[in-house]
Amino acid sequence: MSRLHTADPVLDAFAKEVGTEGAVAISGAQTRWNTGGELAAGTRTITAPSGIVEYIPEEMIVTVRAGTSVAELHAELRVHGQWTALPERGGTVGGAIAVGENDYRRPARGDVRTAVLQVRYVSAEGEIVTGGGPTVKNVSGFDIPRLITGSLGTLGCIAEVLLRTNPMPSGQRWFTSADVNPFALHQMLLAPGPILWDGATTTVMLFGHDVDVEADRGRIDSLGTFTEVDAPTMPSGFRWSLPPADLQDLSALDTGVFVAEVGVGTVHAEKPQPRTPLSPAVQLIHDRMKAEFDPTGRLNPGRIVGGR
Amino acid sequence: MDLHLDEDDLNSCVQCGLCLPHCPTFRVTGDEAMSPRGRIHLMREVQDNGAPLTPEVLESFETCVQCRGCEPACPSSVPYGHLMERTRETLADAGAITPLWQRAMFAPLATPVALKAGSAALGVAKRLKLVPKRLGLPDDLPLRQEPLEPTGTDVYFFTGCVMDAWQRDVHRSGMRVLKAAGIGATPTNELAPCCGALHAHAGLADQTRDLAEQMMGNLRDDKPILVDSAGCGAAMKDYGHLLGTTEAEAFSSRVFDIQEFLADHVGALPQVDPLDLRVAVQDPCHLRHVQRVHLATRTVLAPFVRELVEINDDGLCCGAGGAYSVLQPELAGQIRDRKVNSISAVQPDVVASANPGCSLHLAGAGVQTLHPMQIVDEALSQ
Amino acid sequence: MSLLRRAVDRVRGTDDSVRGAQDHTTDPLLDALIDALDPARVKFDDAQRSLLGKDASVFDGGNAGPICYPTSTSEVVAIMKIATQFDRAVVPRGAGTGLAGGAIPLGAPIVVAVTKMRDVIEIDEANGVAWVEPGVINLDLTRHLAPLGYHFAPDPSSQQVCTIGGNVANNSGGPHCLAYGVTNAHIQAIEVVTPAGDVVMLGGLDAEPDGYDLRGVFVGSEGTLGIATKVAVKLTKNRPAVRTLLLSFSSVRDAANTVSGVIAAGIVPAAMEVMDNAITQAVENYVNAGYPRDAAAVLLAEVDGPNEGIEIDANRIREIGLENNATDVRLAADEAERALLWKGRKTAFGAVAQIAPNYYLHDTVVPRSKLADVLDQIYAIAAKYELLIMNVFHAGDGNLHPLIVFDGRDEGILDRVHAAGAEIIEASLAAGGVLSGEHGIGVEKQAYMHLLFSDADLDHQNRLRRAFDPTCRANPGKVLPAGHSCADIQHLRSVPAGLWG
Repeated sequence: MSRLHTADPVLDAFAKEVGTEGAVAISGAQTRWNTGGELAAGTRTITAPSGIVEYIPEEMIVTVRAGTSVAELHAELRVHGQWTALPERGGTVGGAIAVGENDYRRPARGDVRTAVLQVRYVSAEGEIVTGGGPTVKNVSGFDIPRLITGSLGTLGCIAEVLLRTNPMPSGQRWFTSADVNPFALHQMLLAPGPILWDGATTTVMLFGHDVDVEADRGRIDSLGTFTEVDAPTMPSGFRWSLPPADLQDLSALDTGVFVAEVGVGTVHAEKPQPRTPLSPAVQLIHDRMKAEFDPTGRLNPGRIVGGR
Repeated sequence: MDLHLDEDDLNSCVQCGLCLPHCPTFRVTGDEAMSPRGRIHLMREVQDNGAPLTPEVLESFETCVQCRGCEPACPSSVPYGHLMERTRETLADAGAITPLWQRAMFAPLATPVALKAGSAALGVAKRLKLVPKRLGLPDDLPLRQEPLEPTGTDVYFFTGCVMDAWQRDVHRSGMRVLKAAGIGATPTNELAPCCGALHAHAGLADQTRDLAEQMMGNLRDDKPILVDSAGCGAAMKDYGHLLGTTEAEAFSSRVFDIQEFLADHVGALPQVDPLDLRVAVQDPCHLRHVQRVHLATRTVLAPFVRELVEINDDGLCCGAGGAYSVLQPELAGQIRDRKVNSISAVQPDVVASANPGCSLHLAGAGVQTLHPMQIVDEALSQ
Repeated sequence: MSLLRRAVDRVRGTDDSVRGAQDHTTDPLLDALIDALDPARVKFDDAQRSLLGKDASVFDGGNAGPICYPTSTSEVVAIMKIATQFDRAVVPRGAGTGLAGGAIPLGAPIVVAVTKMRDVIEIDEANGVAWVEPGVINLDLTRHLAPLGYHFAPDPSSQQVCTIGGNVANNSGGPHCLAYGVTNAHIQAIEVVTPAGDVVMLGGLDAEPDGYDLRGVFVGSEGTLGIATKVAVKLTKNRPAVRTLLLSFSSVRDAANTVSGVIAAGIVPAAMEVMDNAITQAVENYVNAGYPRDAAAVLLAEVDGPNEGIEIDANRIREIGLENNATDVRLAADEAERALLWKGRKTAFGAVAQIAPNYYLHDTVVPRSKLADVLDQIYAIAAKYELLIMNVFHAGDGNLHPLIVFDGRDEGILDRVHAAGAEIIEASLAAGGVLSGEHGIGVEKQAYMHLLFSDADLDHQNRLRRAFDPTCRANPGKVLPAGHSCADIQHLRSVPAGLWG
C-alpha cells in the first residue's frame, strides 16, 4: 500500500456514490454554480463529505474534506492565528478549489493554486486518486493538485484536500483615499497588500508587524490623504482577468462600474469580460486532458474549462 | 593514451558544474566541451577509457584560455590549471598540439637579442600597417629603448621578455613608485630573460624548466623578486610545483606581485592629491584566480584616484591568455567583446590592468588600459 | 576563418597518427538538423556525445544522439518536427546540474541544449515580470535585475550556473523558498514547444489565466511535456533590510527543535538552513567564513523585510534558539560576512570532495516536527552500512539532503551506498514525507514512486503526461516508474544499429 493512502470509510462511501457510470456533479454551496456553463440536464448531483480531518498548526497544514464550508475551516484556523488562501464568500472548500478563484486579499493571503498541496478525488472510473503530498516542497511526480485546482470538477470529484496554512499578520488595517494614484501606491510599497480602486477611490490594506503597518502608514501619507476604514466587501457581478498593466486604462474596456485589484489584474465589474477562445494548440491539450481523465464525459457535463 | 595526469587530481572533480559560468569559453559558446567540467571529462575519457584524440577532443583542450577562473569557483579544489598544463605537455610531446611554427614563435622570448630584433621588425611592420589591428599591438612599438638602471638593492625587479620589449615604461613607473616608498630595486634584465609562462601554456614545460633553472641560478640570494606582470608572477610562484624541489619552493616564496608587495608599504608612499579619475580595475586572471592577490591592487590604487569601480563580472577572463589571442583569435574576440561590454557598463575614465597581455588584447578592441603602477606614478609626479 | 587558424588546421591535417579518424557518416536525420540550424550548432562527434551522456548526478545515460544548440523558438519547433519525422526522442538540457539524472540521454535521443538561448528579452515592470530565454543563468538574471531593485526569488545552491529552463523543469527550490515559495510560485507564463512541434503559451500575465492550469503542471515536469522557449518570471522587490543569524548547537536535535519552534511561533523566516558538524568543517575549510568547527550543528537563519519589524523576528529567533540550548548566537556584521556564510552553505556539496572523491546527495522532505527523529535514523543507517553521511538541509521546509561521501574505487561500496539511500527514503516516507523536495524524480527515484503512490495515482499522472505528449517523445524513461507507457525503456525509440548506439 502506498504511503499516501490511508483507509477512510467516508471516502470509500463517497467513491461508491460517485460510482462508475452516469453523469454526476458535486454540489457545494452553489455560490459559483454556473461557472463554465450550465449543468447538462439529467445529471445526478451529490455532495462531498465534510469535516476537518487533521489540523497541525505547527506544520502549517490542514487536511479537510471538500464539503466543509470555508467559513468553518477558517474559524478553526483563526484559533491558532492562521488562515488559508481560500476566498471567504459563503462557499465550500471543494467548490472554492474547483473554481480556483482567489480572494480579493490575494497579495496578503497567497494564491489558491499554491495552497493546495495534496488532493484526493474520485476518478471517472470510481477510484480514489491522490496527487501531490503533505509537504510544501515537493517535486515527486506530476503536479496533479495544480491540474485539479480550477478544473470545475471536470477531471475528478474532489473529496479531500491538504492545504497550506499561513500565520495571520498581527497587524491588518485598511485605509482609503480619494486623491491618490493607486499605481504609485503599489510601486511605493515593498510588499504591497491588497489595493482596490474603483476609478476614484483607492483602498489599501497594510499588514505585517504593527510597527511595519505604522511605518507604511507614514509612507503612504506622502501620496495623499488617507482615512482608516473597515475591510471592504467586493461587489457581486462579473470577474475580469487582466494583466496588471492594463488596469491603468480601463476606460477602453467595457466594464461598467468596477473595482480593480491593482498589481493583481482581477477586476470586479458590472459587465462580463468578452470571451476569447483558447489557441487551437492549447485547446487540443485541453481536449486530450478531458478525454484522458473522463473518457465518457460523465463528470460535470455542460461545464467547459477555458475559452470563456 | 596516458596523459600522465594524477588519478587523484582527475578524480577530485565531482562534475557539479559550478565552474561552467566562470569559464570564458563556455560563456561565449554555451558548449560543454568548452568548459572545465567538459575538458576534465575528456581527459578521463582519453586517459582512462582509451578515447581517441579526435580533432574535437584536441580543440576542447586547445581552446582553454588557461585563465583558471574555474579554480576559485571549485568547491572541490580541483587543480585544473595543472591538469591542463600536464595534458598539453603530453600532447605537445606527442606532436599532437603546438606545431613547429608555434614552437618557433616562443623561442626568441628567452633570447633578449633575438626578441629585440623581432620586436623592432614588428614595430616597423606595424608602422607600415602590415599587422592586423585586432591583435592590439601598441601603435608605437619601441624601435630603440633606454636601458633600465638600478635604483638600489632592496629587491629584484623582474623585467622579463615581451613586456620589457614593448612596455618598458611600465617597468620605469614601477621602479619610480618603489623608490618613492624608499625601496631600491635592481632590474633583472639578462639575469632572468623570460619566466617561461607562455611555453608552459603551450605544453613546452621542458623549456619552462630550463628557464626556471637559469633564473634561479642567477638570482641566488634571499631578496624579494617583484613582478609587474601577473602572468609572469603566477608562473614564477609555480616553480616550486614545476620543479618539485625545496630550492624551487624557496625561490617561489620570494616572488611577489608588485602591488602585493606595495600593499604592505602604502603608508610609506608620499600623500598627494588623488588623480581626478574614475578607475575600473580589470583583474588579470593570473593575479585574481591564480595568485589571488588582486585585492592588493585596490589597496595600492585607492589613495591615488578619486574613485575605484568594480567590473561586475566576477573577474571573468578578457580572452588574452598569453598567446591565446593570437592562436584562437575568434574565441578570444568573442570573450573580449563580453569583457568590453562589462567595462563599458561601469563607465570608467581609465581601466587599470596589471598584465601586459590583457592590456594589449583590450587595446585591440579600443579599450586603453594603464598599469596600476603607471597611475600611481602619475599621481606621485603631478 | 583566420589565416592563422587555417595554418593550424593544415599542420594538424598532416598528423593523423595521434587521432582517430572521425566517423563523419552523415545520415538523413543529421542532414535535416543541420539544414534547420547550421552545421556549427549540430554536434555529433564522440567527445560531445559522451560528454552530454551525464549531468551532475551519479547516473550515466550512455551516449547522446545528435546534440542541437538552437537559438530561437522556431529552431526548437524545427527540431521537434524532425524528431517526429524520424521518430526520435528529444531530451532538453540546460546547465546539466540536475542531481536526479533528469537530463541524461536514454537511448541516444536528440539532445536540445538551450545554453545558447540566454537573452533577457524584456523587463516589464508594469506587469511585474521579466521575459527570459530558458538558457539564462539564475544568478545572471538576479544580477541583471539588481539595478532596478528586483531579483528572481528561487535560489538553488547551483544558482550561479543553473538555468531558468532547468529551474522550470525541476520546480527548483533553494534556501529562500521558505518564505518566497518555490519556482512554481514565480512563473507567470511559459512559451512551450510541444512534442508535436506546436508553440503554445501556457499561463499568462493576467490575474487568473483561463483554462486548466497547464503552466502550473508544466513547472516541475522534468522536460517530459515539451521544451520551454520563453519564460515570464515574476519580479520580486529586493528587501531593504536583512538579518542573518548563525546559531550553534551541541546537538542536531536542538537545532531541529529550534526550527520547529520558530515556525510554531508564527514566524516564517526568509531561510532556515542546518548543517551538521562534518559538513560544517568541510565548508569552513573551503570558505573560512567563521563557522564553528566544534558545534554539532549550526543553523543559518535569515529574516528580511522592511526595516521596522525585522528586529522583532530576529530577536524572537535568537530567544527560541537559546531556549533550545544554543551555545552561541551570532549576527552577521555586514554584507561581506553574510555573503561568505551563504557561499559556504551553497557550495557545501562540492566541498566534501576534500574528504572523498564521490558523493551521493539525497533529497527527501519530512514534516518539520519529525526532523530530529529522521536524522537520528539517518545516522543509524550510516553506522549500519559503515558510511560517512553528512547532513545539510533546508530545515525550514523539512527538506533533508543527506550526503553520502565515499570513494567509488572501494570494493562493493556502491551497493552499500544504494542500500543506505533506499533506507533513508523509506525512513522519510514512514515519517509522512515525500520522495523529493527539489531535485525531482528523474531516473533516480522512479523505482520508489510506488512507495508513495498507488497504481491509480501513477496512472493519472501518466494521463496528464499523455495529454501533452501522446507519443512519449519528450524525455522518455523519466519520472514515472516502469509499467507506465512513457516510462518503459522498451518504449524508447530503437536506434539504427551502429550509428547512434
